[in-house]
Amino acid sequence: MARSIWNGTITFGLIAVPIKVNSATEDKSVHFHQVHAADGSRIKQKRICSMENKEVPYKEVAKGYELRGGKYVLLEQEEIDAAAGDSSHLIELEEFVCAAEIDPVFYDRTYYLAAGKDGGDAYRLLHDALQKTDRAGLGRWVFHNREYLVAIRPLDGVLALHTMRFADELVDPDSLDIPTPSRAPSKREIEMAGKLVESLHERFDPDAFHDSYRERVLQMIETKASGKEPALPEVEEEQDSTDLAAALEASLGGSRRKR
Amino acid sequence: MPRSLWTGSLSFGLVNVPVSLVSAVRDRDLHFRQLHEKDGAPIEVQRWCEKEDVEVPWEEITHAYELEDGGQVIVSDLELQAIEPRKTRTIDIEQFVDLADVDPIYFDHPYFLVPAAEDDGTKRAYQLLTEVMSQTDRAALGTLVMRTKEYLALVRERGGALMLTTMLFADEVRATKSVDAATGKAYKPSPKQLAAAVSVIEALGAEWDPDKHKDRYRDRLRRVVDRKRKGATIEVPERKKEPEPAPDLMEALERTLAEISG
Repeated sequence: MARSIWNGTITFGLIAVPIKVNSATEDKSVHFHQVHAADGSRIKQKRICSMENKEVPYKEVAKGYELRGGKYVLLEQEEIDAAAGDSSHLIELEEFVCAAEIDPVFYDRTYYLAAGKDGGDAYRLLHDALQKTDRAGLGRWVFHNREYLVAIRPLDGVLALHTMRFADELVDPDSLDIPTPSRAPSKREIEMAGKLVESLHERFDPDAFHDSYRERVLQMIETKASGKEPALPEVEEEQDSTDLAAALEASLGGSRRKR
Repeated sequence: MPRSLWTGSLSFGLVNVPVSLVSAVRDRDLHFRQLHEKDGAPIEVQRWCEKEDVEVPWEEITHAYELEDGGQVIVSDLELQAIEPRKTRTIDIEQFVDLADVDPIYFDHPYFLVPAAEDDGTKRAYQLLTEVMSQTDRAALGTLVMRTKEYLALVRERGGALMLTTMLFADEVRATKSVDAATGKAYKPSPKQLAAAVSVIEALGAEWDPDKHKDRYRDRLRRVVDRKRKGATIEVPERKKEPEPAPDLMEALERTLAEISG
């Protein structure tokens, strides 16, 4: 059973939907501790006051916002937390947008919502109505002393909540000044590239991909744990190609064989 | 132009496009430094050996993986480098998929790929790939190795540029099975309730306009800092009461519709 990390209520109009937030994703990368190479003992981080050169206990740590000239505005954690707004456990869905219109770049983290106490029918109603309209509800969510813009939409039979990136956090592609070639790709090149895309087209299957690097790291750890030396792989050379049309043609000839 | 985080090539069949990777997200957060409350002096973080109780310089620090039995395996930077995947400087496009089939739950961090060479061939190959993906609404899948980690990456067109998004692996996305989504028959809404809820959603329908939504947290935090600088005290806002679930859903839906139209 998934563990909930936040309990609260979603509202749309006068309808209240009690929900529990569960995490939907987990980072599976291999994590290491820092250790001292000399004796293999753990490294711990110490907070040292740069003026007194003494360790500072956590309760004496404040936050400083740097002004020009190396001066700081000193704030307590509670004062920073106040910026989250009122910490009501409430997500008010103020508007509903077509889910397909939201470019995926706006989605940040995803959580699953479970039905809260006495809220099964309201949960199902919101889920089914969103599914029927192909819409996502937008609201604000205060979590861990920070306010997020969130989109709530149906996903695989449950309600999912996405924290959203704000437009001013995204780099505008126009600002990248992508250079245009003196001669645009020819019709033939576009056609051939289109064929190549078709020949490599598959249905998206997330299970087809594995984190082979993670697997190798774990394998090496296992080898070392059993007291053996890990074997080192070899490095392959890369090749360059200059003639676009010839490369496309050669790719088309070889694409089937390659897979 | 954002800073380049990785340079290599995007390989599409036998076509290689030299590209560099830049973040598509800007950090707009206010950052704070840890200070000692008593004297306002900045706090420095030092790494100390737990056993010897002395500070340890960077070059004497290595990584250890904790085993289930409590033991540990020491792994050096060199050993980690040795198992880095081959062709670390190439994003090999392995397949193309329909962008609409890829649920956003798989998306991690967005980047842009920009041409990394001045020659016309590079610019043309870049434009070719951009145009073809834009015309077909297809996205390319491949792997990217960055900072010793291997990522599944999706490359697509956005605003005339190639956007690369790192992806979660399937085993990093939890199954929805374990989520209590009130799927029991008793919770199924009646056709009348569903129709009323659809009307509420449609009445509150809006165009997706990302510029309309501002980061109010960031603005409030800036105001908190400003007021504090001028010596004001900061008050913590009160918590709003949460509404109770309505005993009669249909009645709540009807009142909502009356309120919206009235």
